[in-house]
Amino acid sequence: MHYIWKEWKENIRGKGLWLSLSIIVLISLSIMFRSPILSFDKGFYVLLINLFETVIYFIPILCLFIGAFSIFQEKEQKTLIMLLTKTDSYPGFLLKKSLGLYSVVIIPLIAWFFIYLLLLKFYFPVDFSSYLIFLLSLICLALIFLQMGAAIGSFSRSRMQMIGFSVFIWFYFFFLHEFILLSLLPDVTYGNVQWFSILYFLNPLEAVRMFLETGMGVFSFGHMSRLLQSFMWTKPGYFLAASFVFWMAVSFGTAIVFHHKEGNE
Amino acid sequence: MEGSKKMKKVALILFVFSLLFWLNPEKKMAAENLQRAIDSMKAGAVLKLENKTYEGNLTIRKPITMIGAGKTVIKGDGKGNTISVKAPHVTLSRLTVAGSSMNRNSSEEYAAIKIFTNDNTVDHVTIRDSFHGVYLSQAHQNTIANNTIMGIDKGEVAGQGNGIQVYYAHDNLLVSNTIDGTRDGMFFDYASNNRIYNNHISNTRYGLHYMYSDENVFEKNIFTMNTGGAAIMNSNHIKLKNNQFIFNYGNQSFGLLLLQATDNEIEKNTFYMNQRGIYLDQATRNLFRRNKIVQNQIGVELWSSSNQQTFTENQITDNTLPAVTVAGQGEDNAWSKDGKGNDWGSAFPLTDLNQDGIGDFAVSYESSLHQLIEDQELTSFFLKSPALKIYEKMNSLLERNDVMFTDQHPLITRKGHPLRTAVIGALVLLAAWILLKGRKRLCITFGRNGKKI
Repeated sequence: MHYIWKEWKENIRGKGLWLSLSIIVLISLSIMFRSPILSFDKGFYVLLINLFETVIYFIPILCLFIGAFSIFQEKEQKTLIMLLTKTDSYPGFLLKKSLGLYSVVIIPLIAWFFIYLLLLKFYFPVDFSSYLIFLLSLICLALIFLQMGAAIGSFSRSRMQMIGFSVFIWFYFFFLHEFILLSLLPDVTYGNVQWFSILYFLNPLEAVRMFLETGMGVFSFGHMSRLLQSFMWTKPGYFLAASFVFWMAVSFGTAIVFHHKEGNE
Repeated sequence: MEGSKKMKKVALILFVFSLLFWLNPEKKMAAENLQRAIDSMKAGAVLKLENKTYEGNLTIRKPITMIGAGKTVIKGDGKGNTISVKAPHVTLSRLTVAGSSMNRNSSEEYAAIKIFTNDNTVDHVTIRDSFHGVYLSQAHQNTIANNTIMGIDKGEVAGQGNGIQVYYAHDNLLVSNTIDGTRDGMFFDYASNNRIYNNHISNTRYGLHYMYSDENVFEKNIFTMNTGGAAIMNSNHIKLKNNQFIFNYGNQSFGLLLLQATDNEIEKNTFYMNQRGIYLDQATRNLFRRNKIVQNQIGVELWSSSNQQTFTENQITDNTLPAVTVAGQGEDNAWSKDGKGNDWGSAFPLTDLNQDGIGDFAVSYESSLHQLIEDQELTSFFLKSPALKIYEKMNSLLERNDVMFTDQHPLITRKGHPLRTAVIGALVLLAAWILLKGRKRLCITFGRNGKKI
């Protein structure tokens, strides 16, 4: 518990969390204030999809930075060595630190989007279940990239290295992963489409997007061909769950195996 | 002896009555009573129903008006049409009609209200739990207005019918109806000269499905969250004006499909956030004028079999791909008319030195994606990806791109898209902040206990 409390105190005093939140608040408000042009009965869904497509650019990179810097500063302040020498093993430390990070990011995120929902009620008839799915999608995204950030903070030796890794991972999931898949696309056949599907949904951004769009009922899979049926061989929720578990496990594993107890300037 | 005979008779009567009770006679009697009441009315009479459930099915053979009290329900027995209209000049109003047969193996397709005659009105009627909603079968000059038709859901295609089915029926007026979750919202089969205004159709397979039906007019209808907004097939001389095709967003979805459709006028419609805004296959001589084709994955998908299309004065902006021609270029497709092209948005920067609202040079769009779209249906999963731009750039460097369209007279963009402005604004703020404060400041900000260097 004192890890969570410590994380809160540190982040409240710092600027990183507030900067991240203010960007999300700014974006969501600007989209909402422009929403009267969407004043038809599905405008609520259009707004949520537009909002998601916008914040998806920011949440991953901000969570990567928050996670990475949080772990790295423990190295810089030598508190990591003290903790590991006295009481904790590295997995134990990482777990507690991660829980602290989750609480620091997720609670303000939920709080803001609860307030946002109240504001939205002035504009649209609100569909609560869709909003819950939207929120769940953002939380999944934040958790995955926070954990990746924690892994980066764990194995980085310097700040420069850490920033480089964070930007690379963001770039990879945003551009490179799909660019590789696009290059593979002409060779996809009915025989190998399931493997392609696994690679596609391994990208948490795609898994979350599909979960959101199908969960809200805006993306339909009616009249699918055999190829498409094979591509969507399980439910979007399961794809997201698998992607979530995979990246959390990989991030934890990488952090534990490759961590360095000290960081250089 | 006499007494025992009487006793037997009484017992027999009681037995028969108990059987009637067991067979739920009040329902049957209610149906018969309402049917009898209808049959006994004079032509032109008005029948006012109470706020209760009447058991159907009913057949109306006289020109009468049947008005409910707002919560009046007419419930079919699930074995035929709930209400069959077989006389002209019948008006049905303020009713809920439910429970037609859902049987797909019968010779007849059933509906909540099936109209076989002309000059009838169905107004403020709610329809649910039925195969088709309203079925106009060789029925002309009817008015179907202000009705709400609820289907099962868009996932169910075969097991349910269409909201409004118009079959060999002409000169009908369909206005201000709301249709949700049926197979197709409105299905026109060999139906011409109908007017369709202000209807709102959502969560269906095709909001509008057209086969062999000519010279119909569609205005101010809204199609949202359907697999396809409107599918116009084998039909000619249709006017689509001021309609909204919004959020038809599924993998194979489109706002408007023209398939083997000729000489149609598509004017001042909005195509917003569809998988494809407009999808043309084997279509000829259609005119697209002053439409807003905005924020779709593909603005216009034009297959090579489509020829002589004219696009003029449209706003085709903020789409992932503004327009693609698939399987080769069609013949004589024009992207401008009378010196007026289309507004392609800020993605195509233009100068306008003589301030006439027309760009000083032609815009041309090249892409390599047409081949992928043609060969691989999974391409649509990548249309939202930022990687697409890199892919296009790479292929451009490798000279694998083909020209998708050339607009000789592009229109000057008036203003930017609000969402893009917001995103760019936030990005610029973030970049400026990082540049101003520097990397060291970034370190201090996120790891606020980091040592200042």
